Amino acid sequence: MNILELLQPQSILIPLSGNDKVGVISSLIDGLAAAGSVTDKELYKNAVLTRETTGSTGIGFGVAIPHGKSAGVTRPGLAFAKLASPVDWDSLDGEPVKAVFMIAVPESAAGNEHLQILIALSRKLIDSEFRDKLMAVSDSEALTSLLATI
Amino acid sequence: MKKLLAVTACPTGVAHTYMAAESLAKAAKEKDISIKVETRGAVGVENELTEQEIAEAHAIIVAADTDVLESRFAGKPVVRVPVAQAIKNPAGLLEEALNMQPAPSADLGKQVEELKKQRSATRSGPYKHLMTGVSNMLPLVVAGGLLIALSFVFGIHAFEQKGTLAAALMNIGSGAAFALMVPILSGFIAFSIAEKPGLAPGLIGGMLASSTGAGFLGGILSGFLAGYVALALKKYIKLPRNLEGLKPILLIPLVASGITGLMMIYVIGKPVSHLMTALTDWLTGLGTTNAILLGLLLGAMMAFDMGGPVNKAAYTFAVGLLGNHVYGPMAAVMAAGMTPPLGLWLATLIAKKKFTKEERDAGKAASVLGISFITEGAIPFAAGDPFRVIPSIIVGSAVTGSLSMAFGATLQAPHGGIFVLPIPHAVGHVGLYALAIAIGMVVTALMLSVLKKPVAQL
Repeated sequence: MNILELLQPQSILIPLSGNDKVGVISSLIDGLAAAGSVTDKELYKNAVLTRETTGSTGIGFGVAIPHGKSAGVTRPGLAFAKLASPVDWDSLDGEPVKAVFMIAVPESAAGNEHLQILIALSRKLIDSEFRDKLMAVSDSEALTSLLATI
Repeated sequence: MKKLLAVTACPTGVAHTYMAAESLAKAAKEKDISIKVETRGAVGVENELTEQEIAEAHAIIVAADTDVLESRFAGKPVVRVPVAQAIKNPAGLLEEALNMQPAPSADLGKQVEELKKQRSATRSGPYKHLMTGVSNMLPLVVAGGLLIALSFVFGIHAFEQKGTLAAALMNIGSGAAFALMVPILSGFIAFSIAEKPGLAPGLIGGMLASSTGAGFLGGILSGFLAGYVALALKKYIKLPRNLEGLKPILLIPLVASGITGLMMIYVIGKPVSHLMTALTDWLTGLGTTNAILLGLLLGAMMAFDMGGPVNKAAYTFAVGLLGNHVYGPMAAVMAAGMTPPLGLWLATLIAKKKFTKEERDAGKAASVLGISFITEGAIPFAAGDPFRVIPSIIVGSAVTGSLSMAFGATLQAPHGGIFVLPIPHAVGHVGLYALAIAIGMVVTALMLSVLKKPVAQL
C-alpha cells in the first residue's frame, strides 16, 4: 500500500475553479465519490464542514487540508485540488488557499497503515521545500511523482 | 540546557496533531532547543513522554483540542494552547515555554498528595503494571461490593427470590461487576505493558482466568503473559512495509490472544485454580489462631511502608479475594491502613510535648487522612523520625489487623475508610470493627508517647 492507492485519478483536480471554500469542498467530495472512497456524500460533507467550524483547516502557506471521519466513507481516500484562483479559507495566517488536500477516513479506521500514510503527508506539509514543489505542480503526473517521494 | 516537552492532539487525529508536532520539532531544531513531542492521534500515542522526562523538563507545551492526560504534568509549568497555535506560531510557543518559571508547592494534605503522585511516578516495571491493573479494577470492586451489600438490606437471602430488587442488585454486583473484575485487572496489566495491542489478549486471558476458576491470581498471570507476548510481537515481528498495517489490527490480537488463551487453558488455569480453591477454602475455614496470625501479617504489611509496595501487596491480595467472596482480609487491611495516621493524631494529642507545633497541626490533617484510609498520611511523621514512628505504627496496625480477623469483621468494599461503615451490610460486625481500629490507634499512640523524645532533645 502506498499513497498513490489512496489518491485515485478521479480525485485529482488540476486545475479546479471554485469560488469559495464550500464549493471547493463539494468538488473534492465529488472526486472522492467517483474514486469509490466516499459513498454517502452528504454524511461525509457534514463531517468535513463540522470539522471546519471547530477551527479552519487552512494551515497557512496557501495550503488547506479539510478532512473528516465519517460512516459515509467506505475506504480511506485522498483528494487533491490545485485552485485556478486562490480562495479564502480563514487560514491560520490569513492568506488565501491555492492547494487543497482532502482526507476521508472511515468511522472505524483504527491504527492501520492508511492512517500512517495520511499522517506522513500531514507531517510533510510542514516542510517548506515540499510545499514549494507542491505549489509548482501543474498536472497529475507531476503530483503523483512528488507524492511518491513520501 | 533547558529541555522542553510537548504533547499534540486533535479530534480527528490524522492531520493537525502531526503537523503541530512537526512544526514544533522543526522550530526547535532551527533554534537549537531540545524538545520531545508526544503525538496522540488516530494511531494511538506515539513518542510517549516518560515520567523521568517530565520530571526533568523545564516546561511542557500542550497543543491540543482533546484530553491529553494533563494530570501527569502536575507541578510543572504548562503552556496550554489550541493545536492550531503550534502550527501557526511554533517559535513563539517555544519562547513562552522557555520563559516559564517553575511552580512552587505547600500543608500536609497537599504534601501527601504530592508524595502519592511521586510514588506512582517512580513506580516502574511489573509493579507499575500491576498497579495499573488494580487501579482500573477498583471502581468495579467498589460498585460490585456495595451493590451486593445493598441487596442484603432486604434480608441475607432476599436475592434468591427471582424478579425482586434484591435479585437485581445482586445480579448487577455479583453477576456483572464482580465478573468483570478479573478480566479488567488482567486487561489493564497487559495494557500497561504493551499499550493498546495488549488490552484484548489481556481481557481474554482474564476472562479465561475467571471461567477456569483461577481467580485474581490467574488474572494477574494472564495479564503479564498477554502483555509481554503482545509487547514481544510488537517489537520483534517485522513485516514488509506493505503488510505492517496488519500487525496491530490482525496479527498481534490473534497471536497474543491465542498464546495467552491456550496457556491459560492448558498450562496455567488448572494449577492456579487449585491454588485459588485451596486458598479460599483455607481462608473461609480459618481457625482463630491462624486468623489472628494472618491479620497480624497483613496489618504489619499495611503500616510497614505506608502505601509503598509492601502495603500494596497486602492490599492487592485482599481486594483480589473479594472476587471470591472472601471479605475478612479486606476488613483487616483497611482497618490496619487507617490506624497509622489515626494513631499519630492521637499521639499528638496525648503527648503534646513530644511533637512540634507544626507536627501537632499536621496531626489534625492526619486524622482526616486516616478516617479516609489514606495510610500515606503517616509518611511525613515517619520521615522525620523513622526509627520510633515506624515500629509504633507497625505494632498498632498489626494489633488492629489481628483483632479485625479475630472478631470476624468483613468488608465488601475495597476503600472508603470510615465512610463505608454506615452503608448497611458493607461491614460485618461494625461495632467490633470500630473497636479494632480504636485499639490499634491507642497502641500506636501509647508506643509513640513512650518512644518519642521530648521535642527539645530531638
